[in-house]
Amino acid sequence: MTGDTPALRLSGLAKSFGRPAVDGLDLTVRRGELYALLGPNGAGKTTTLRMVTGLLAPDAGHVEVLGIDLARDPAGAKRGMAYLPDDPLLYGKLKPTEYLEFVAGLWGIRAQDAEPRARRLLDWLDLTKHAHELTEGFSRGMKQKLALAGALIHEPQLLILDEPLTGLDAAAARQVKDLLVSHVEGGGTVILTTHILEVAERLAQRIGIIRQGRLIAEGTLAELRERTQAGSLEDVFLHLTEGHAQ
Amino acid sequence: MSAPGSIPWLLAHELRLAWYGAAVNAGRKGGKGGKRRPGIVGIVLGIAVYVALHAIAFALLRKLDGGPLPEAVLAMPLAIVLAVCATFMLSSTLKSCVVAMFERGDLDLLLSSPLPSRSIFAVRLLGIAASTALPYWFLAGPFANMAVVFGHPGWLGLYVAVGACAMLMACAGMLLTLALVRVLGARRTRVMAQVVGAIAGALIFLLTQAYNLTRHDNDATPMLLALLNGSHRFGPDSALWLPGRAILGAPGPLLGALVLAALAFALTAGRTHRFFVHGLQQAAGSARVQARPAGALRFRFRASLFDTIVVKEWRLIARDPHLIAQVLLQLVYLVPLFVLIMRGNAAGPALGAGLTLLCSSLTGSLGWIVLSAEDAPDLLLAAPVPRRTLQLAKLAAAAMPPLLLVALPLVWLTVHAPVTGLLVAFTVTGAVLSAGLIVLWVGRPGLRSDFKARGKENFLCNMLELANSLCWGGLGWLLVALATQGETWTWKASAGTLAAALGILLLARLLRRRPL
Repeated sequence: MTGDTPALRLSGLAKSFGRPAVDGLDLTVRRGELYALLGPNGAGKTTTLRMVTGLLAPDAGHVEVLGIDLARDPAGAKRGMAYLPDDPLLYGKLKPTEYLEFVAGLWGIRAQDAEPRARRLLDWLDLTKHAHELTEGFSRGMKQKLALAGALIHEPQLLILDEPLTGLDAAAARQVKDLLVSHVEGGGTVILTTHILEVAERLAQRIGIIRQGRLIAEGTLAELRERTQAGSLEDVFLHLTEGHAQ
Repeated sequence: MSAPGSIPWLLAHELRLAWYGAAVNAGRKGGKGGKRRPGIVGIVLGIAVYVALHAIAFALLRKLDGGPLPEAVLAMPLAIVLAVCATFMLSSTLKSCVVAMFERGDLDLLLSSPLPSRSIFAVRLLGIAASTALPYWFLAGPFANMAVVFGHPGWLGLYVAVGACAMLMACAGMLLTLALVRVLGARRTRVMAQVVGAIAGALIFLLTQAYNLTRHDNDATPMLLALLNGSHRFGPDSALWLPGRAILGAPGPLLGALVLAALAFALTAGRTHRFFVHGLQQAAGSARVQARPAGALRFRFRASLFDTIVVKEWRLIARDPHLIAQVLLQLVYLVPLFVLIMRGNAAGPALGAGLTLLCSSLTGSLGWIVLSAEDAPDLLLAAPVPRRTLQLAKLAAAAMPPLLLVALPLVWLTVHAPVTGLLVAFTVTGAVLSAGLIVLWVGRPGLRSDFKARGKENFLCNMLELANSLCWGGLGWLLVALATQGETWTWKASAGTLAAALGILLLARLLRRRPL
């Protein structure tokens, strides 16, 4: 694994549920960048992410995570990656401390490394005072923040987030955005999907737009603007997705 | 058409929800696939069973109708049956009250509306009583209907008596739940009410077992004869049998039952509706425990993945009151067996069968919770964890509690009757491992909240589990009989039963679900 190896490389990725959900997708995300994957509802974003994280077996194509072929060495590929779906992966009957103990155990993090990280994450995300409550009583935002803490406890090189800001209040959204920026500044890679285009506009270094399971445009915001002669990302997005629809 | 907001209007709403709930219970397709009503198959099956019950009732009553069976005598067994049903009803209403209070459903919407809380509470109480009475009306109603054919219209009093009993138990269940909230607080009530409900359901069993275990002559005939011929103090004229007479349509007892139920309903609904709302408010925050200062954070990261998974599974089981209640109910049935062992009646083949059956059943339940009802399967799939380690740890988490539970009685048994003890240990271990593997191989993902309905969700798994329990339980019986009585036919029967048990396991292996 070298610094030139992309964080994620997808080649000819395909998945069909009766009709194609992802249709021969080729995508490369470089290390140390924040990549926003955009697309209208049903474009295949979540299906793509679920195949990347090993939750869904592709019908065709290859997934390479940090230079490791997911099909050949799933454990190796998953070790450097974390996934945060739109519906947080939590246990209602566990407390945040116990949840972090469990996730750290799954990723095989040593106690002496896991404990300071867990304390720091709970503190950073304002969850310390709720650390002894069962998560079933948490608000949507608190659940999302705890799931994010779980995703970060093993300090993944590649962080994949599906709609991470859905249902968060302004303060929580700001905390999550700061955390993502900080992760990228620390050398990590972030791939996120979002319907909040301002987030992609402000945070993403590169943006990919998919429609009907295919990548229809990719580049920096400036490149996409130049290509479409549109002003904001919203204009770019609508121009590209509606343009393809016609 | 009733006025919006009135009690009949709310009752119609409740009935509609119950009808859709029946669709969900009839099959997950109904619940998840957007189908809101029970399917035609479910309705036809229900009607067929109801008609069959009428036929059975007709045949039985025709036999009874010829003989001299005075209603005064008949009232005694009917009253006893109703008393037994009342304990089951109390168990059921306690669970319904906990569900009403903690799972809330549409209560937040109703209580935020300008409807009086008294109406909302009254309708919910009526709903609990009606849903409790329904299965008894369904099963016993055909006997009352057929009795009319034989010229006993009074037997229709069964509907009233059962309804009154259900209402009394609904009021008792609600009052008990509210009292628990007041004394213990909402969080502890959830667990305690489930435990009380489980024990109430097994009350008659426990009482009969206590009676059997404490008396030394096993003949109850003299007492029964004394009861029937009136020389006992609880003879046919005793007020104790009034519920039985109400079932047979005696006007006085029937009116008494009605008045009692109406009074209980009016008093419960009228006096406790505010406390019900207060209880709901408490229940809403019951998931939260007292916040601790930041410095009190305590972590216990474990070095082994196996331990991490087992501890997590046990924590989730221990914190789920529904599951605890279900498991406790099974444990309640173990108590008489333990007493038998301690009293030295350890040689009975029934003991081998009983211990094996119960351990198998308990493992099946825990296995479903641990293996099939995983709350965050995607988290486990996304983790760099070997699937085998994960499955092994989960199997161990399901199998260890039943094995630990019977370890002490088995050691006791082995010390006092070594061959019997070792044979029972063998069948218990075999049953536990097989039950866990069956759930692992053919179990389907489900929600923990669907624990009670898991049999309907996955009929195949349920049948294999049942057959497995019966085979290993039977083997336990046969092997102990072989060791203690030495009859030769038990050799062949044991070998056949063991082969059947292994065959079921093989079948489960062949039918296993393909992993991702």
